[in-house]
Amino acid sequence: MKTLILALALATSGLAAPVFAQHDHGAASVTGAASAPLGRPAGRPPARDWTKLPLLLGKGERGERARATIAVRGLTAASVTVHAADGPAERRKVDYPVGAAGASIESVAPQVGNYHWIVAREESADTVRVASTAWYFGNPGDSPKDLLAVPKHELEIVPAPLPREHRSYREAEKWRFLVRLDGKPLAGQQVVMETEFGSRSTAVTDAAGHATLVFPRDFKPVAQEGDEGSEARRRARFVLSTEKEAGGKHYLTAFNHAYSQDPERNRSLGWGAAFGILGMVAATPLLRRRQPNEGASGHA
Amino acid sequence: MLKTLFPTLSRFRFAVQVLMLFVTVYGSIVVGHYAADKITGALPALSCAYDQMNGGYCVLVPTQHQVHHRIGQAMVQAQQVTFQMVLPLLLTFLTFFAFFFVIGKAFCGWVCPLGTLQEWIGKIGRRFGIGLRRFEKGDLGEVKRVRPVKWLLLLGLVFLLPLLTGLGVTPHALGNPFCDICPSRVATTLLTGNTEELALRIGDDWKFGLGAVANTLIGFMLVGGLALRLPFCRICPLLAFNSVFQRLSPLRLAKPTRDNCGSCRICTEACPMDIPEISTHSGRKAYNEDCTLCGRCAEYCPQDGVIKLKWGPFALFSSSREYYKAKVKGELPDGTVKPLKFVKNAAKPAAGAADA
Repeated sequence: MKTLILALALATSGLAAPVFAQHDHGAASVTGAASAPLGRPAGRPPARDWTKLPLLLGKGERGERARATIAVRGLTAASVTVHAADGPAERRKVDYPVGAAGASIESVAPQVGNYHWIVAREESADTVRVASTAWYFGNPGDSPKDLLAVPKHELEIVPAPLPREHRSYREAEKWRFLVRLDGKPLAGQQVVMETEFGSRSTAVTDAAGHATLVFPRDFKPVAQEGDEGSEARRRARFVLSTEKEAGGKHYLTAFNHAYSQDPERNRSLGWGAAFGILGMVAATPLLRRRQPNEGASGHA
Repeated sequence: MLKTLFPTLSRFRFAVQVLMLFVTVYGSIVVGHYAADKITGALPALSCAYDQMNGGYCVLVPTQHQVHHRIGQAMVQAQQVTFQMVLPLLLTFLTFFAFFFVIGKAFCGWVCPLGTLQEWIGKIGRRFGIGLRRFEKGDLGEVKRVRPVKWLLLLGLVFLLPLLTGLGVTPHALGNPFCDICPSRVATTLLTGNTEELALRIGDDWKFGLGAVANTLIGFMLVGGLALRLPFCRICPLLAFNSVFQRLSPLRLAKPTRDNCGSCRICTEACPMDIPEISTHSGRKAYNEDCTLCGRCAEYCPQDGVIKLKWGPFALFSSSREYYKAKVKGELPDGTVKPLKFVKNAAKPAAGAADA
């Protein structure tokens, strides 16, 4: 039942599909599908236009809680590795081959497991490049605290925390990310954020290895009704990256996901307050003191 | 020690309500950020899922969701009504009942954050001498006329509309209509400093309309609650939901038949839900569908052992004349409190005397 929080999903329906994957509204077009075959909205530039960093781009069918397709962009990998937060021990870490359409991945077990961490890795003699993302299958399962705590490769960007179910990264919000090298927090490390709309910002990790980034308020004005891309424009992709030289190798790690419009763009606090005041006014007659002959009950 | 800290049942309940308000509104500080960390997703209290800091979720949230997405959509897909289809809903109800079994409808009177806030608003009204209004003949009309509303909201907004939405009959925006009109959504998110839920959705007429109802209700609650005790509880579908199961929890209000009862009506005066049956009936009928197990009727019953809060065979609290006499010295049954008086400390010596 922890996976079934309709309320918040509906309040922000259409925003950030990845974190709504538990919700049957569908995981379609998730983690920011970058190419048309994977659901790129009309009018959007292909992924290569907004970043040169490696990306993992997912797509799940509406209501699909068992399978998803992960496309690898900007990186050559024969397989992607899927780490699960719970489920059978032998299924907690599974490699899936990457085909022409991407890697077809599955939840850790049928109707079990929500949070999954996905990694693709490319290694040469002097360079290691890693792409990573999170996928929410929408099944009942454990929180990702332990999943995120376990090191999965050398240089990592780890959300601290991930948005919980039915939430997402959103414009103008601050979120924290941990940078680790060989499982240890990396202080003074620069993290770069790039968004689909062209924003770019940097943050430096503190002594505990945490970098705090503010998501830019860079969504374009809401499209008119009937615009093919109007729904999709409520969310966009971003990628964080960091690089480090260590042990004679150059490490580059990227974490990509999606972020949503500030919901207040489509809300009116003025109207909200107006109806609150209307309720107050409607209740005012109750404050009129009853006259003695109006039937005070009294008691013995 | 406990007797000093909690001299009355009301004081103990107040402490529990403060603790539960923290748990239901800010509980993620303790239990964790993710939904999987929450105490439960099927709490018998209006602990709102829109509140990003809460400690658990109200049972009506998954109920609407599952009726909408599991049952409604599965029926659309022409599947048979199978056990697997309704299993999530059954699991939600079982989880709900695991909690409900322990303290039953006391979730309304002791745990619900919206109930706590309404009570505190009422205390402000009493403190400032705002006349109490009641659902009774001669004032707002008989309380029985209001009771069906909560059942209509439960059936219509928690079950029927989500089902129709799942079937594709009603718009998607009506998938969780109770949450959209629930004042707890607005109140608890405001308590975390978030105005997002107070703001109305623009561009979706259904969402705008439902949100307008919620805001009107909370505005009404804020002002009306000064004069009328627990205004929203009277129409709360969660109270109706809990009432369905109230006989299945060992915690209950017990009032056996007594010859010396039925005339003073002090228990009804004390009841924040204006339940007349607690004074006019005994046995099962005295434990009414509107009861929130707050225990005020037992506190203000001037007869020994007439009204009890019982958990199974154990009497947790029993009315007594001595308790009543002490209680009314500080607060009358209708909640009226003695005015605060600021007096000079008699023990403090006068300045001149000190100088001497």
